[in-house]
Amino acid sequence: MKAPLLRAPSPLPGFGPSFGIALAMLSVVVLLPIGALLGRGLMIGPAELWGMVNTRRVWSALALSFRAALIASLFNLVFGLVLAWVLVRYRFWGRRLIDAAVDLPFALPTAVAGIALTALYAPNGPFGQALAPFGLRIAYTEAGIWLALVFIGLPFVVRTVQPVIEELDPDIEEASATLGARRFHTLRRVILPTLTPALLTGFALALARSVGEYGSVIFIAGNIPGLTEIAPLLIVIRLEEYNSDAAAAIGIAMLLISFAMLLAINAIQIWSRRRIGLV
Amino acid sequence: MSDIVLSRPVPVTTEPQLARALLVGLAVLFAALFLFAPLATVFAEALAEGWQGAIAALSLPDAQAAIRMTLSIAAIAVPLNAVFGIAAAWAIAKFDFRGKAFLITLIDLPFSVSPVVAGLMLVLLFGANSSFGAWLMAHDIRIVFAFPGIVLATLFVTFPFVARELIPVMIEQGRTEEEAALTLGASGWRTFFTVTLPNIRWALLYGVLLCNARAMGEFGAVAVVSGKIRGETATMPTMIEMFFNEYLSVAAFTLAAVLAMLALLTLLLKSLLEWRHADLLAATRRH
Amino acid sequence: MNIELEELAKEFGTERALHPVSLFIPSGALVALLGPSGSGKTTLLRILAGLEFPTSGRVRFDGGDATGLSVQDRRAGFVFQHYALFRHMTVFENVAYGLRARRRTERPTEAEIGRRVTRLLDLIQLPDIGARYPNQLSGGQRQRVALARALAIEPRMLLLDEPFGALDAKVRKELRQGLREIHDTTGLTTVFVTHDQEEAMELADLVVVMSMGRIEQVGKPAEIRAKPATEFVRTFTAA
Repeated sequence: MKAPLLRAPSPLPGFGPSFGIALAMLSVVVLLPIGALLGRGLMIGPAELWGMVNTRRVWSALALSFRAALIASLFNLVFGLVLAWVLVRYRFWGRRLIDAAVDLPFALPTAVAGIALTALYAPNGPFGQALAPFGLRIAYTEAGIWLALVFIGLPFVVRTVQPVIEELDPDIEEASATLGARRFHTLRRVILPTLTPALLTGFALALARSVGEYGSVIFIAGNIPGLTEIAPLLIVIRLEEYNSDAAAAIGIAMLLISFAMLLAINAIQIWSRRRIGLV
Repeated sequence: MSDIVLSRPVPVTTEPQLARALLVGLAVLFAALFLFAPLATVFAEALAEGWQGAIAALSLPDAQAAIRMTLSIAAIAVPLNAVFGIAAAWAIAKFDFRGKAFLITLIDLPFSVSPVVAGLMLVLLFGANSSFGAWLMAHDIRIVFAFPGIVLATLFVTFPFVARELIPVMIEQGRTEEEAALTLGASGWRTFFTVTLPNIRWALLYGVLLCNARAMGEFGAVAVVSGKIRGETATMPTMIEMFFNEYLSVAAFTLAAVLAMLALLTLLLKSLLEWRHADLLAATRRH
Repeated sequence: MNIELEELAKEFGTERALHPVSLFIPSGALVALLGPSGSGKTTLLRILAGLEFPTSGRVRFDGGDATGLSVQDRRAGFVFQHYALFRHMTVFENVAYGLRARRRTERPTEAEIGRRVTRLLDLIQLPDIGARYPNQLSGGQRQRVALARALAIEPRMLLLDEPFGALDAKVRKELRQGLREIHDTTGLTTVFVTHDQEEAMELADLVVVMSMGRIEQVGKPAEIRAKPATEFVRTFTAA
């Protein structure tokens, strides 16, 4: 820390204390607990861990969490782009209200969102009743999980793409038009490629958040084992059964998925910085 | 060709009228269905039995204990995170050292860990069936299923909030103002309080706002470590779950409405900051 | 106060920003560090101010070793390239900053601070702008405020990093004259960095031509014009 090799000298004071505080808190709050989970995994041993994960119920829970997160994030990829484009490029009544409301899923507690969506889409709720004649059931099916995850992931794509759209140079679009390109061609061939890195980053952030989501999902999911039981819920159930080893096994599986996605996000950002020079 | 001449000229950098109307309509519908409808439902359900019902729900002892619990947690977790965020941002933005990128990745890590897994980690670390937990038990120190565990869980899930807002702002502002203060003879602390802090105050407030909203609303991690003991460790979100599962809909939605109002207040202040102090927030926050 | 550099070198990682350089600046001189970007002139100036630390070598002020002296204790009036005015403070507060930052026993009273700031604003010929904020000033005004702020601490030397770099040609000429006058009134040893050879030649008593982290030549403007020591100096000053 003090060694000149590790840190460039600076006239500004306070590196030692600030770095120390940051590292100490990081260790106690984040690293030590992660270490405890991985340490428990080592104590259990890989074969045992695999045995606890490799059951039909755990697999279907993990697959459900991942599948639903993927579907919801793909949906958000498309609609998040539309929303971001509309908010930046068009002027209409209520634009600022919608712009501010995009962050609602960040600010609204997940349990609140969960019971609100359940009340709306339950068979006796207003939306649930409206959809029933078409034979559509949302609450207590996998579609309910998709819905909750769309809500949770909504801001990510919008908020990563929005600033990039704001920074787009109109010259490029004008150049495309002077070269004879129609508007749709310009959007597809000129604008979309520029937005791709931001879109991918937003998508990956939404996906990472949705895979582990719990609060907004458990109310609307119905939680039927093997069908609508998400992986985090299974961890809670195992803990309530005092089976902390089985809970740790699922937890490690989810942590590995998180790490993989974190790596993917970093890779996307490095790639896009090289290619387009945007962060 | 004649219709092109006759039609009103459309700027080349926008879409045709019809496409614009469709896209705006789609965006409004999407926002109405996914954002405004759930929000409206919370208040409608809370007032399903009129104001008396909501007031009666709020005066339930369990509800009041949950409100006190949530406020106490935020009162401890948010300032601690602010201290962490400032310290981390100062070290990262104002100095060059090895492993900086790795440190930033570690700080962001809690964002991609499921809250339930975060709670699980704390249970494994401090719970009765770990050796450290057993030692704590023997010395009568309770962390899991008690207040300290809930604070730790809240700290974990809100960990990156303040640091993430401050780091880009402080990197963008550079070091020259601090260097100027030093050449004028100011001490380190004086430089921090008279130059750095005024420059980051709005970004700090922004981060604290988001941190506070998440701290008061955290559910998954807290549900796992708190044990959800009524009147003792139950927070507002976990109490909402219990009320809801007991079909006490008005009580559940009344507590939910209180949290929803907090969320609305957060969004309002956040939007004000973005409009009034955009130049002092991180670039991605300026809409 | 005179300034002496002994075999001063600076490396950033594997890059050498300064090869060992030695230089003597007599008390009261007005010196230009002249060179293209990347020549090490700004690094040298920042080492004088205590904002950068040499990898090896010594800095002496009036013969005393100042290499390890902290930036606060150097009392070098430093004018930053983009002025680094505190955006959230008025001009008055900016200029008063250094006086208010002093230890209580050495701090002047508020009334005395007020008198000194007024005197400095008179000196830079902007007596009425004390209540304004930096973003309400023109580029030339900001530069002069930065100068007043640096002078307020009663510095032992005045260091300026490209003081005219961000200004247009007309303002530049005026402010050059202003700096000369302030130097002559205060008698401070003054070092400024510039890449503009005309500016260096016109303003400085002594010009230090630098290139690639080395000092190519030190001399009076006329000497450098008449007898360029190297090919680099000849082409660079002929421009």
